[in-house]
Amino acid sequence: MMDPRVQQVLDGELPVTALPPELADEVARLEGAAALLAVAPAADARLEARVMAAIRRRAPGPVLRVLQWLSAPRSVTLRFRPVWSLAVVAVFAAVALFPADEPGPVLAADEGVAQFVARFPGARSVDVAGSFNDWRAGEVHLRDDDHDGVWRAAVVLPAGEHEYMFIVDGERWVADPLAGRYVADGFGRENSLIFVRPLAP
Amino acid sequence: MKSALVLALVGLPLAAQQGARGRIEGRVPAPAVAPVDSIIRVAAAAGLPTEPLVQKALEGGAKKVDAARIVAAVADQAGELAAARALLRRTAPEQPISPAELIAVTNALVRGLAPERVEQIATALPGEPTGPAVHAVADMVGHGFDEDSSVALIVAAARSGVRGLRLLDVATAAVQEVQRGLTRDSALAKVNGELPNVPLPPQPPRATVARARRPAHALPPVVARGRDDRSQ
Amino acid sequence: MTEHGGPSDAEVVARVLGGDVEAFGIIIRRYEPGLSRFAARMLGDRDAAADAVAEGLVRAYRHLAGCREPERLRTWLYRIVANRCKSHLARRSLADVALDDAPPIADGADTEARYERTEQLALLEGALARLPDEKREAFVLKHVEGLSYEEMSAVTGERIPTLKMRVHRAREALLAALKERV
Repeated sequence: MMDPRVQQVLDGELPVTALPPELADEVARLEGAAALLAVAPAADARLEARVMAAIRRRAPGPVLRVLQWLSAPRSVTLRFRPVWSLAVVAVFAAVALFPADEPGPVLAADEGVAQFVARFPGARSVDVAGSFNDWRAGEVHLRDDDHDGVWRAAVVLPAGEHEYMFIVDGERWVADPLAGRYVADGFGRENSLIFVRPLAP
Repeated sequence: MKSALVLALVGLPLAAQQGARGRIEGRVPAPAVAPVDSIIRVAAAAGLPTEPLVQKALEGGAKKVDAARIVAAVADQAGELAAARALLRRTAPEQPISPAELIAVTNALVRGLAPERVEQIATALPGEPTGPAVHAVADMVGHGFDEDSSVALIVAAARSGVRGLRLLDVATAAVQEVQRGLTRDSALAKVNGELPNVPLPPQPPRATVARARRPAHALPPVVARGRDDRSQ
Repeated sequence: MTEHGGPSDAEVVARVLGGDVEAFGIIIRRYEPGLSRFAARMLGDRDAAADAVAEGLVRAYRHLAGCREPERLRTWLYRIVANRCKSHLARRSLADVALDDAPPIADGADTEARYERTEQLALLEGALARLPDEKREAFVLKHVEGLSYEEMSAVTGERIPTLKMRVHRAREALLAALKERV
């Protein structure tokens, strides 16, 4: 149970100078934690493009524009709800959320998508190899586009059980710390196990 | 021994004999090729799946392990597959065993699941593939659940109609209840009480799916099908 | 009223409603970083967060005429994205570390300090992920996004005392996690 004065300080109801040092330390630690969590991830430039593509597909025609103008908050006397036209927009927006130039793979019924994610700060390259690709290192690359040390890859794989390992900087074989399931590799280390499921329609 | 090997080779499909050697040549140290090839032929003749053995050799080559250790690891793998098959045959002699199931049970045993637990599961679920069930139990045991309770929950789930890899979700649900603060007993009771309803596994975000690519050297289609043919 | 410079939110909303679709880009550029950070902290996964924010922004555009107080666009957007996050959370569970788990979203500092911060961040994100959704939401809105309790109430529809209690419990849990790691 935290001293209520710490909560008051953090809620801006009490100055931090009112606290004894050990409680001021708790405030500092929590503020430090919040500051760390508040570091924004790198901006995703594709996100704006994706949203604008979805929106432009269905730019409102003159009628909808008039209806929207009429229903806009500044019009206090008229509250008009163009429900039918918004429904039309909704259908198209849902379809268009992924722009046509990024269609993604077509998956067979017995295929799924495996996501590989690992944190290797300072690594120059991270690959994944496993029983799904004859253990070929240097073929499936993880990427760290924003250089934050978090490497990712999404791979289409046959549904079922696969063993794998990461290869850092082309030479260091490392088990996936997030896999949660491991099996001895017979060479003195452990492979990670992944179960890939068919992607739900 | 030599005559056994010759007999084994006679009964082996030509494609299997040629395919394995072609896949490992150039990818494992040269001295390992012939011995590994022999082990694979013997295993094939004995009706064991050879793909895990090919994979073990390729894995050793990729990890730059020396020839002797690769041969030993492939031989060990063959032994583990044979042991797992013997275990399954002992419990359910009539039931066919798919490669996917055999690989799953082998891996669950390597993960540390006691052979008696595999027998217990196979006996409790006659006619069902045991692969996903044994991994589900191994998952629970790995998270501190005792073996008896884990087997009981997974068997209850299978009997309530939960099938295939969805059994892993049962184990996950129990583990998550503990992570949310329940005791293991309460978690077991809660998950058991909600069967056959189990939370669905997370789906990859659409942005991730759109980005996903196939590896250039994906598994041959036959192997891919074989891996999944009993698991769903 | 424009702390970010440029036209006020109300002006931009009026332009979009008047048919200037491209003006919605201003709203995206203005609020996407905060919304993405909020969603990433809620979902612990950057791809899922991008989905939630993109869906939320498209939804916001569609329903822009229903934004009663354009000068409070920010809290309105947070509300929409918070709801998208809830839908995502309902479809999955955070504790599944095998595939979808969130690796820490590290910052760009370098050398040992970076590693130390990354480790600390991993610890905090782990603690955050273990919080019940509503407490995580309250903590992130308060301390990561810097919303006032009044704004949080507008975002979540909850009463202020309830939100305070959630923030307090979340602080206790995070402090306990920090103290565990000596």
